[in-house]
Amino acid sequence: MVSKMAPIITVRNLTKRFGNLVAVDHISFDIEKGEIFGLLGPNGAGKTTTIHMLATILKPDEGTAIVAGHDIRKEPKEVRKKIGIVFQDITVDRALTGYENLWISGKLYGLRGKELDTRIRELLEFVDLLEWKDVQVRKYSGGMMRRLEIARGLLHEPEILFLDEPTLGLDPQTRAHVWSYITRLKKERDMTILLTTHYMDEAEKLSDRVAIIDHGRIIALDTPEGLKNMVGEDIVYIYVDPRSPRMSFFINKLKETIGNDSISFSKNMISLSIKNAPDIIPKIFFLADQQGVRITRLEYTRASLDDVFLKLTGRRIRDEEGSLRDFMRARLLRFRRR
Amino acid sequence: MNWWDSFIAMWYRQVKRFWHAKARVIGTITQPIFWLIFFGIGFAASFRGVVFGRLDYISFMFPGIILMTIFMGSFMSGISVIWDKEFGYLKVVLVAPSSRKASILGRSLGDATIAIIQGIIILIIGYPLVRSINVVNILPFLAVALLVSMTFAGIGILIATRMRSMEGFQLIVNLITMPLIFLSGIFYPIDTLPIWLKIIAYINPLTYGVDASRILLTGTGSLNLMTDITLLIILSGLFMALAMHQFEKATID
Repeated sequence: MVSKMAPIITVRNLTKRFGNLVAVDHISFDIEKGEIFGLLGPNGAGKTTTIHMLATILKPDEGTAIVAGHDIRKEPKEVRKKIGIVFQDITVDRALTGYENLWISGKLYGLRGKELDTRIRELLEFVDLLEWKDVQVRKYSGGMMRRLEIARGLLHEPEILFLDEPTLGLDPQTRAHVWSYITRLKKERDMTILLTTHYMDEAEKLSDRVAIIDHGRIIALDTPEGLKNMVGEDIVYIYVDPRSPRMSFFINKLKETIGNDSISFSKNMISLSIKNAPDIIPKIFFLADQQGVRITRLEYTRASLDDVFLKLTGRRIRDEEGSLRDFMRARLLRFRRR
Repeated sequence: MNWWDSFIAMWYRQVKRFWHAKARVIGTITQPIFWLIFFGIGFAASFRGVVFGRLDYISFMFPGIILMTIFMGSFMSGISVIWDKEFGYLKVVLVAPSSRKASILGRSLGDATIAIIQGIIILIIGYPLVRSINVVNILPFLAVALLVSMTFAGIGILIATRMRSMEGFQLIVNLITMPLIFLSGIFYPIDTLPIWLKIIAYINPLTYGVDASRILLTGTGSLNLMTDITLLIILSGLFMALAMHQFEKATID
């Protein structure tokens, strides 16, 4: 899945302070080429600050990063050529049309003439906005603006794309849309993507690897599976036909496979608490078949990244309010960022 | 060349933004016309007999009214960089590999273009009202307008890049624009002002633009045309250079 090459982004001890507040606290990680890397954490965790530093529009206080072969502190202009970015807030010019927005951005990246026009049309097509190209952006919906921003981030065919909360505030349908663009980018263009999000499902669905960030520090980094296996257990409910004669044999076999402690059962339902259910479930069917037990229904719930976060921090990402401290932190960060 | 592309991109943005906001076009032109009609005609009537230089009052204030429009247009556009900061567009410019100096210069010239077009429209509308206006010197007049525009776009950008938030925006605008407009010789000659006001008027770059325009369009003024133009060249170059320098090292802190 992830090729073993020199990383395309290397972050070392990157640190940013706003007054007394350490927004990003000595973080280090590598991103491989072609990888979708998720930065997951609650509001105010330091995700946006990290992205802004990597995109060279905020100066780090300590540490640095090499992005596409260039140091963000020493060669910001070279870095800017290689990256595309979709900001968290809407940054398209609402007074202009979609086409004009892209044309201006294209110019800022040195594209011109026929080539620029072709790229714009191609990308508007990609994000399904071609028929809206001559409409002023103020008349777009939030989802359309977000799609236009994605198109803009891709104009100069960057090697790396930064997406800062790409589906924040979007309706479920548009979210699904944006997700499909992101997966297509990876599949069709082998693009390296750094994504920040506070939605667990988003990090889990899109990312090859996820770094969980809290109070400016990375507290865990692994594949989504790896993270979930680290802490969570999946629960599997097997509903069986109680008239099956070899039920007890089936249960014994299950105990042999997954261990005694994690099974409980009633008359027609067996529940298992196991790690990595997707790998075990085929075995369950195999054993049932072997013993002639008829499974009528099977349900399972997976451990989520939120469970991982809960285990690591004692809080949930999901809490919109969060603790008072997190809230103040997010407020302060937003205020300082101006 | 990337320098030229960045320049064109931002020039185009300002011009297009204005083009889309047709209501704004009308709005910015009506205000100076109102000044000219309701203030100018009223004052001219009560000043009957009083002579400004060799001019009647409307001819006296007309070049200044055009300059006032150009000044307001470019200063407000320069300072509207703060809006780009607030609405995130600044990030888009800063994250691009383009020449920042070229983009801010393009932006200022875009604003200047619009301001000068507004000035020309007012000149055309006001022309029938004004007795002694000489349009032979229209081209040097437009050059003066451009210099004034670049000066105040530069000052506006300098203020905007130093402001951290929108708070105080309106205060700064009022605090700066009102004294500059009144102490520039648009409405009355500066020669007869008390000395302390005269000093402020001489510090005000707009004074030289107004004087040069009045000399070019009516033939009379308080100062010397060459002095006016030399000072404007120096001031516009200085403030644009400072603005470009400031913008080059801008971050979103």
